[in-house]
Amino acid sequence: MAEAADYDLAIVGGGPAGQAAAEQAASAGLTVIMIDEQARMGGQILRQPPVPFRVTNWLPGGIYRRLKRQLAQTEARRDVTWRGRTSVAGLFPEEDGFTLLIAGTAGGGGRVRARRVLIAAGCYDLPVALPGWTLPGAMSAGGVQAFVKSQRVVPGDRFVFAGTHPLQLLVAAQVAAAGGTVAAVLFAQAQAAMIARLLRAPLIAVRNAPALLGAASAYLALRRAGVPIRFGRTVRRIEGETVVTGVAPAPVVDMICGPADGATIACDRVALCFAFVPQADLPRAAGAAMRAGAHGGWATQADAWMRSTVPGLYVAGETTGVAGAEIALLEGRLAGLAIAVDAGRVAAGAVSGDVRGIRRRLARLGRFAALLDDIASPAGLIDQLPDAETILCRCEDVRFGAVAAALDAAAAPRGVSGIKLITRAGMGLCQGRTCEHAVRRLSAARGGQVSAAGFTPRFPVRPVAIGDLIR
Amino acid sequence: MTEAADVLVIGGGLVGCATAWHLARGGASVLIAEAGDLNAGASGQNAGSLHFQIERRFLENGDALAEQAARTIALSRLAVEEWRGLEAALGGDLEIVMDGGLMVAETPADMALLEAKARREAEWGLPTRLIDGTEARAIAPYLSPRIAGASYMADEGHANPRTLTRAFAAAALRMGARLTVHTRVTAISRIAGGFVVHAVRAGEAIAVRCGALLIAAGAWTAAIGALANVHLPVFPAGLTMNVTERTPAFIPHLVQHVGRRLSMKQAHSGNVLIGGGWASRLAQKESGGFDLSRPPMVRPDALEANLKAAVDTVPRVAGLNLIRTWTGIVAITADQLPLVGEVPQVPGLYVAAGGSAFTLGPTFARLMSALILKRSDAEEPLEMFAPARFNHLNGFMG
Repeated sequence: MAEAADYDLAIVGGGPAGQAAAEQAASAGLTVIMIDEQARMGGQILRQPPVPFRVTNWLPGGIYRRLKRQLAQTEARRDVTWRGRTSVAGLFPEEDGFTLLIAGTAGGGGRVRARRVLIAAGCYDLPVALPGWTLPGAMSAGGVQAFVKSQRVVPGDRFVFAGTHPLQLLVAAQVAAAGGTVAAVLFAQAQAAMIARLLRAPLIAVRNAPALLGAASAYLALRRAGVPIRFGRTVRRIEGETVVTGVAPAPVVDMICGPADGATIACDRVALCFAFVPQADLPRAAGAAMRAGAHGGWATQADAWMRSTVPGLYVAGETTGVAGAEIALLEGRLAGLAIAVDAGRVAAGAVSGDVRGIRRRLARLGRFAALLDDIASPAGLIDQLPDAETILCRCEDVRFGAVAAALDAAAAPRGVSGIKLITRAGMGLCQGRTCEHAVRRLSAARGGQVSAAGFTPRFPVRPVAIGDLIR
Repeated sequence: MTEAADVLVIGGGLVGCATAWHLARGGASVLIAEAGDLNAGASGQNAGSLHFQIERRFLENGDALAEQAARTIALSRLAVEEWRGLEAALGGDLEIVMDGGLMVAETPADMALLEAKARREAEWGLPTRLIDGTEARAIAPYLSPRIAGASYMADEGHANPRTLTRAFAAAALRMGARLTVHTRVTAISRIAGGFVVHAVRAGEAIAVRCGALLIAAGAWTAAIGALANVHLPVFPAGLTMNVTERTPAFIPHLVQHVGRRLSMKQAHSGNVLIGGGWASRLAQKESGGFDLSRPPMVRPDALEANLKAAVDTVPRVAGLNLIRTWTGIVAITADQLPLVGEVPQVPGLYVAAGGSAFTLGPTFARLMSALILKRSDAEEPLEMFAPARFNHLNGFMG
């Protein structure tokens, strides 16, 4: 492990929020390091192909245009130190700044010291457990999209998409455009209900037409390609002995899932797309105040300047709540300005005009994000999908039945950390990122508080080879 | 609502639940009151070592402490027997492994410490054996070539702290003991022939009338003692433990280091646990003082030093992924010895706290129950842990 390097600002996450913040902070004269697990800047939304790939017409479409401009601008800066292929395993608040323990995704470790830290770590797909979900071939839509976007690979032959989030239309269209077969796209909601929700807020919908047009044009492209898009249906069971061979679909009425009906849909890949979870393990472990994420995980609380409750620690983008790339970009810009002001490099008065404009746009986009969240919500549905035999914690092979039994036992622990201690659910490599939300809801269903503290956050947020943690 | 019991046990940790089991078996009516979840404190947070050799923390602080520690050997010998019989007594798999333990040495200074330790252990009849590096590696091929020698004891090992306390609690309930969790004691008053203890459970006030009272509340013991107007001088300390990903079994022993803070073992599940007494930072209350309700913070330097000691001792762990570092709070005393026995200023008030209570906990519990039931065979082995040694603190109390 190398000796610590010192920076005014360490940014965790190279997506739109991190880029925008880096831009502001570096322009104000701060030394900035940006750390990301990917080889290149961009985040999930603009996951870039490796440099040697010559890709023409990468991520076409209006919704990516503004983000690509920001990316090009930040990547071109010489005064932002880029540290790709690197995980931040731990963030430790100290007297006068922070120590970050970092680890290369392909090995090697080190320390970074920074006066201030911005966490803009994005989000990940809500892992949804249902019978068969751990079979090879069952993926998240985000995982499928990462292959298509950056590796230019369609990771399978015949896909079924299922969920509640409109993003699955975009990913399915990208798979179809890249040469994959999409056997079906299943939305659990009724189409009429989705449209009705949009129409209840027509002004918000119209003002955000580009985003909606993206989903609409994906929808039309899929229809033109003859892909069946079904509403009021979902996956009851993923089938296969050793790999995915199909899905058993079932009807959903008012988010109540019926038994499987009709023929199995043959496929070798299932992409689930229900919701997204903020990536906030680092601020949570550092002691920042959180609120429960809408469908799982934790969103970091921030003030009007994107400051967390830990002095010197800022948050932006999906780490503060899943709301999309445009909001992330603006929050990152705001955080960058706040950091420059707090570091005494810029007078607060000098940026007040910028800040007002950013906040106005954030308010408008926030209304659309809330509308989308409402339309896409899987609430009520996903708890019906697993049965007692379904694996809940895939790291430790703990089934739903075992966790339910621990919750129902005499003198059962009140907190989910106690359930973790008894059942091992959440004790594995992923630190409970996959199963914590399910344990919390099982506990809530028995009279616990779903918003109550989750698993006690622990170092490291990513597994790290012990040899990489010592000098 | 008023309840009654011969004995009220405050604290649903290992010692509290195990003592309740013994008391119930002895015919007493027992109630366990736990402020939070069962096994949520040090009983469930420690790394499960069964260590019977004299600990290095006693060896690094001069002869007097080492001499005192040697006198704990009598209790360690009882503890070996206790652990050997536990699975049969409680019924069920407790993941108790007693396949031997090595306390290793790297340097000549380490070897000198081991030799001094071996002399004291021989004197007090603890079956440890001093071996050189070659023999150590023959027994434990995973050890580094740096290891110059070791002290080997065949009875050492480890057990699973996640399950043991609950096994004691279940056994106690089977014998008729009662348990109330999420029950916070708020006041203790003395009455003729015992105590009335007031508590709050789910917003409801309850009172328990009891003849004897055992405080086995770990780091919270001092605060409970204050309710009875006595000083129970135990102090909280934050510790750090580490666990690797699962890997095929290769460390069948408990491994400790005489010169560095280190304990290692491989759990039943295949994860390697690495600890040894490295500090974590206790959370602070805004009003001052330590906040025991929040987990202590990992200290990166302590973490690194602990992992370095592990890699220097068992090089293979360098290639294993660390998946979790957890912190916990233990209670320690000024002389490093546990605080176990009756409080002289308050007859009928007993305490069992102050550390070493995983390895020695089941034995403390059995002896403590005999003490409470006024059986004469309990006094002697516990004598050196008796609260009477801190009497000067309670000269104005009680």
